[in-house]
Amino acid sequence: MSFLKSFPPPGPAEGLLRQQPDTEAVLNGKGLGTGTLYIAESRLSWLDGSGLGFSLEYPTISLHALSRDRSDCLGEHLYVMVNAKFEEESKEPVADEEEEDSDDDVEPITEFRFVPSDKSALEAMFTAMCECQALHPDPEDEDSDDYDGEEYDVEAHDGMEVDATPTVAGQFEDADVDH
Amino acid sequence: MMRKKTPTLREIQWGQRETEKLDLRALLCQASFGRLFYSFFKSLVGKDVVVELKNDLSICGTLHSVDQYLNIKLTDISVTDPEKYPHMLSVKNCFIRGSVVRYVQLPADEVDTQLLQDAARKEALQQKQ
Repeated sequence: MSFLKSFPPPGPAEGLLRQQPDTEAVLNGKGLGTGTLYIAESRLSWLDGSGLGFSLEYPTISLHALSRDRSDCLGEHLYVMVNAKFEEESKEPVADEEEEDSDDDVEPITEFRFVPSDKSALEAMFTAMCECQALHPDPEDEDSDDYDGEEYDVEAHDGMEVDATPTVAGQFEDADVDH
Repeated sequence: MMRKKTPTLREIQWGQRETEKLDLRALLCQASFGRLFYSFFKSLVGKDVVVELKNDLSICGTLHSVDQYLNIKLTDISVTDPEKYPHMLSVKNCFIRGSVVRYVQLPADEVDTQLLQDAARKEALQQKQ
């Protein structure tokens, strides 16, 4: 996987909350091997035995969850849905980038699954991720135009009361009305 | 001259129940509305909701908790389109980032719409002063 790169494991400076060794990473169903998952306040990272890995920024993580189905081929695991694309050819995750063959309206989705050998750690991993997510709210941006849905026009809705008071008295009156 | 009113959206049909969609983004453009809706969602903890994400995924579940950023925790979830997201079939509890939520569908009988509209209008008026 060419998007894997080498970087030092996160430590206290990054606000490391939890380190989970012997954890397999699966990207969209494809296994990446076994390594260590680092849940830090700054970002979520995973590194395999050779020091190669990837990081996920919390604002790109749409949701995370615990999968408790033991009959699933992976067993119990941490599921993470990311709003970015991880291409095998590209070196970095591509988020919301316009591509020729992609539909601009469709948000990219990548599913990661982290499978620790120690299943009893899953609750703590989930909770640690919840805490870190809460540290990365979107900045308040009144003029943000990243909304994919239709533009919401406050003033265009039926059934709303309309203040019909003209700004200039008599501006709507016909001139020279002659009954 | 049109005066801006508190926006609401009405959407019918979620199973047999009437639901009311609140356009979170339109109402959250100002910080105090965020507090208003934080309180509102806290009052709905324990109720069943459907959260529709901006990536079009819809998740049914029981509202477990919400925080000030409207990050949502749901329990006993089910996905309305399991064919598209088969990996979520075995998920029971999830944490949804507030900023990826497009809509939260609520059962109409759990919402005092008039009260909510009045509260939101008051916020809007206070904002102007």
